[in-house]
Amino acid sequence: MKLIKYLSFAAFFLAVGMTYAQEDKKERKPGHTNENRFKQLYDEFSTPNAYRSASGAPGPEYYQQQADYVMDLELDDKNARIYGNETITYTNNSPDVLEYLWVQLDQNVRARDSKSPLIEPNGAQGADLASNFVNNYMGAGFDGGFKIDHVKDTKGGNLPYTINRTMMRVEMPKALKTGEKFSFSIKWWYNIPEHTVDRARSGYETFDDGNRGYVIAQFYPRMAVYNDVEGWQNSQFWGRDEFALPFGNFDVNITVPADHVLDATGKLLNRKEIFSKDMMSRYEKAKKSYDKPVIIVTQEEAEAASKGFSTAKKTWKFRAENVRDYGFATSRRYIWDMMAVKVGSKDVMAVSVYPPEGNPLWEDYSTLAVASTLKSYSRMTFEYPYHKAISVHAKNQGMEYPMICWNYGRPDKDGNYSDRTKYGMISVIIHEVGHNYFPMIVNSDERQWTWMDEGLNTFVQYVAEQDFGEAYPDAIAPNKKYPSRRGPAKNIVNYMASNQDYIAPIMTKGLNTYSFGNNAYGKPATGLNILRETIMGRELFDYAFKTYSQRWMFKHPTPEDFFRSMEDASAVDLDWFWRSWFYTTDYTDIGVEGVKKFYVSSKMTKQVKEMMAARGMKESDLPPLVYLVEEGSEDYDESMKNAKLDDIKSINEYMMDNMTAEERTKVKKPKYFYEVTFEKPGGIPMPIIAEYTYSDGTKERITYPAQIWRKNDVSVGKVIASEKEITNIMVDPDEETADIDTSNNSWPREKEEGEFKKFKEGVKGEK
Amino acid sequence: MKLYKVASLLLLCCLFTSFTTHKFYVSTTNLEYVPEEKSVQIITKIFIDDVENAIKERYGVETSLDTNKETEADRNFLKKYILQKLQVKVNDKEQDMNYIGIEYDIDIVKAYIEIEGVRNLKTLEIENTVLMDMFEEQQNIIHIKTPEMRRSIILEKENPKGLLNFD
Repeated sequence: MKLIKYLSFAAFFLAVGMTYAQEDKKERKPGHTNENRFKQLYDEFSTPNAYRSASGAPGPEYYQQQADYVMDLELDDKNARIYGNETITYTNNSPDVLEYLWVQLDQNVRARDSKSPLIEPNGAQGADLASNFVNNYMGAGFDGGFKIDHVKDTKGGNLPYTINRTMMRVEMPKALKTGEKFSFSIKWWYNIPEHTVDRARSGYETFDDGNRGYVIAQFYPRMAVYNDVEGWQNSQFWGRDEFALPFGNFDVNITVPADHVLDATGKLLNRKEIFSKDMMSRYEKAKKSYDKPVIIVTQEEAEAASKGFSTAKKTWKFRAENVRDYGFATSRRYIWDMMAVKVGSKDVMAVSVYPPEGNPLWEDYSTLAVASTLKSYSRMTFEYPYHKAISVHAKNQGMEYPMICWNYGRPDKDGNYSDRTKYGMISVIIHEVGHNYFPMIVNSDERQWTWMDEGLNTFVQYVAEQDFGEAYPDAIAPNKKYPSRRGPAKNIVNYMASNQDYIAPIMTKGLNTYSFGNNAYGKPATGLNILRETIMGRELFDYAFKTYSQRWMFKHPTPEDFFRSMEDASAVDLDWFWRSWFYTTDYTDIGVEGVKKFYVSSKMTKQVKEMMAARGMKESDLPPLVYLVEEGSEDYDESMKNAKLDDIKSINEYMMDNMTAEERTKVKKPKYFYEVTFEKPGGIPMPIIAEYTYSDGTKERITYPAQIWRKNDVSVGKVIASEKEITNIMVDPDEETADIDTSNNSWPREKEEGEFKKFKEGVKGEK
Repeated sequence: MKLYKVASLLLLCCLFTSFTTHKFYVSTTNLEYVPEEKSVQIITKIFIDDVENAIKERYGVETSLDTNKETEADRNFLKKYILQKLQVKVNDKEQDMNYIGIEYDIDIVKAYIEIEGVRNLKTLEIENTVLMDMFEEQQNIIHIKTPEMRRSIILEKENPKGLLNFD
């Protein structure tokens, strides 16, 4: 009975307040649709279907196409050309009838008639080198792009084809029905570009001694993806946006000068034929070396080979199963080392290939970084399914393919290198080896969604970098933790605080974003790190992330499959997070707007008296009340500071009536009451992480979930009842939410000890 | 002549690159006016490898910043380059820039610069063309903070100056 009365009294307070509020506004606001930041993503997501389930898993009718390749390749080292003859066998597992096939001709991005340069606005320069002028304005530049000799069916008959820039449509004699296969062959060649000049993703580098190091990829006409989301993914290759490729098996024979050292995607089938006796015995040793790499081809051997130029040829034969792409690296100037790494119950080889130019850095760290990466990623996702992972050193490169990648990081000519070169190298190796997982195995569409592989990979890269630092403390000394550039929330603040005109939501096609590195790598990686460390916790996050990775291993996920899986496996509703972090350019900014201090009193406050008078109520109509008086208000007097809860009659009586004597001894006796108002100038509704410091120096941290913002997106209040006085309140004390403006994060407002002042005083101190 | 070569080569490179961790062409400068100290305090952050390349192209000097081979001369070239490229006018007047020093943070160099004796801030003009001689797409972001306001501006080659009026 008492309870009901009290409730209605509270409702009466509320009602008065609301009436006033409405009377203030003469004009009625127009209606609106659901603009709540916690609104579910039904409008953004497509409806789940038999191909893709609402859980985020592949649906019962999920399918994917298969493209198998048999290729004979020959490198002409003298003229820097590559010749190829490939047979593609395409299997239509879709329920659709295919009238034609689309093949990707990525090399055409460097063809003379490429339109890629035409989409880059530029300005006129006052003067230009004749060579550049001719290149740019007279059309006599590098003669790149595929030269297609023919496209034939298995009987040798020519197949009609149409080339639209980087895409080629091949006509089949008859439409390809569900479950049918179609084989055809393409004969081609092209001039290999010098990647250090035009910064291509693949090509050759010329060393000082005139030898070349070739890192070859996107080198063969590749099947486009056909799936339930895009139909044919035949969006043109402009240069920056990467690739979408179906899985398949590859049988590849690569013929190179006999003095070359080569490694490639897939198992080397004729090792005994290729390897010298020395190499073979070193290789056998490497297979049993789990702690450090064993050199297969030494620097001396590489340097000796560099003095010649063999006209004899060797053919290296490889077979790769269930890969989406193929790459290889070859040079007579390569050193080669390997070690074994245990992944689950099996052994994987961690491999490095590098010219002497990479030493001393490469022999020290490359293979260790590969091995460490495989362990970290296998823990975070699934056991590495391939038999090896190779890191190849190529100047300025950082590019990934199945089992093999190109990485930068080179000492100067005297063998000196800075910390930044070392960390740059280790980080890029971890990143590119990590790409084996995303997108080589969890095969998302890079052409459309750069962040799905780069962002997820950069996130795991951060975890792997920290692991590397723990595994090899000497390698990172004097740092205690690996100095990761991306991952920690505070590292993305500069980007998220920058001009909104130059930021795109993560959910934007990679080609069309500004600040590519931050947009597609840094921000999604940081978002996942915030989910893991702050919003979900490691246990829930890691389980869900693993679930997504394993569900989509060797399949083609979409962003929704990721978003849905993360929620489905964790029971954490993250729609608000995906919406704000991935679909908008909103930023985090939460602070303490103000703090009011209250004391308890049994003396009726003026506000309640006025309320009673207005309603014609008597004191006896009221339930037993406790009054909270704000410090400094007209009801306040200094004596209230010493008020004890025991002196408040209504509390005492309530406890006597409702609690046993024993229960009464156990109650808390708060003395200080605070109403803390938190403000949110930023759009993202992050959790409020509030750290309260008490007068005795102790600290208490309370995290209010993001949902505290669900009804008021601007400011929210919280009452803190405390036995001790609060001396300080700090929001996000560990900088884990990417709050772009920390000047409002503390109460009382602290003047931030400026970075500038600290440095200036430090400099003075030195003098 | 060399300069043009680099500029156009890099223009070309922008078309085809995208590898992975390759960074974007941005510098960040925090500029704060502290009235109690009558001081405009600037921290400008620039990628070390980019600025080394700029020094090489501009002055023909190979520097080894942040290595054990770094020399006093290397640091002086860096100072010369930064002060040449970063200019601040307060209340419509060129200002003496007190270059306090630098520190390194992995791949970034942070330079600390102060303008002293600023009693009353009415207008602030900042021009930052750092690395615009190297990269067509260089963006120099300036975060400006006074006790009353915060503003961010982005300077680009076509528009390398920003003017703020505080009246």
